[in-house]
Amino acid sequence: MREEKQLTEKESLALITSMISKAKNSSIDSGIGPLFWGVLITICSLVTFAETKFNVTLGFDIWLISMIAVLPQIFFTWRAKKEKVFIPHDETMMNYVWGTFAICVFMLSFYTSQTHTSNGIALYMMVFGIPTFITGGIRNFKPMILGGLICWICSITSYYVSFPNGMLLMALSAVAAWLLPGIILRRRYLKMKNV
Amino acid sequence: MFKELDPILHSQLRLAVMSLLIAVKEAEFTYIREKTNATAGNLSVQVQKLKEVGYIDVAKQFKDNYPQTTCRITPKGIEAFEAYVQALQAYLGTSGKG
Repeated sequence: MREEKQLTEKESLALITSMISKAKNSSIDSGIGPLFWGVLITICSLVTFAETKFNVTLGFDIWLISMIAVLPQIFFTWRAKKEKVFIPHDETMMNYVWGTFAICVFMLSFYTSQTHTSNGIALYMMVFGIPTFITGGIRNFKPMILGGLICWICSITSYYVSFPNGMLLMALSAVAAWLLPGIILRRRYLKMKNV
Repeated sequence: MFKELDPILHSQLRLAVMSLLIAVKEAEFTYIREKTNATAGNLSVQVQKLKEVGYIDVAKQFKDNYPQTTCRITPKGIEAFEAYVQALQAYLGTSGKG
């Protein structure tokens, strides 16, 4: 691009649109985070369901994996930050939204382990829906808006189903909120990268 | 009477840089160079001009032992960009009617 070229008004407007569009396209999420957590929570929920339903045991609490999984998440975040060549406007806001979510899940784990409440699953799904719905709204990404709504519907429904079946609702929430949006984001990201 | 288009912004590369920076919080020099397809030398001169008029802030630091230049649009830059777009719309609106 040469600096000297004087533009017509139409060319100026076209250039502005094109550059803003380029910036937007490079802001597309890689989808790794939602994919990773979507797969993990779905597997943990289904394994818990199978353990109770078929009276089998793995010999350890499958949900411990989700605690350990925080480590690769920290690694992904660190690597993404290192490779980042620009910062989107909404990054700080997103960090606060998902940071709040992580703290709430941790507090909820503590609360449910202390009180042994039977409504724990419903509370988890309610919390899952909050950052998902906000992210979908802010980024105008409908699959996440829908995912957040599905989490809340599953949360209410889980009050009316017995424990192991509630885990199927938890799996459905994880698929709707993170796994499917993650797949869509990943495909978009790879398509954009190959253009 | 039309408002005169800001001569600082009414140039291809400077307008491209400002359009990119308006869409992000901040961006590295390498990112701007890649998106504008400009040469490092030319881009460097235009970035300096934008900095001199106060439309952008430029921060130089080291990242993994490599020099890193980061640019971010200033409130004055946002104001100038908005005025420029409004002026463009006024021009195009009138020429469209004629």
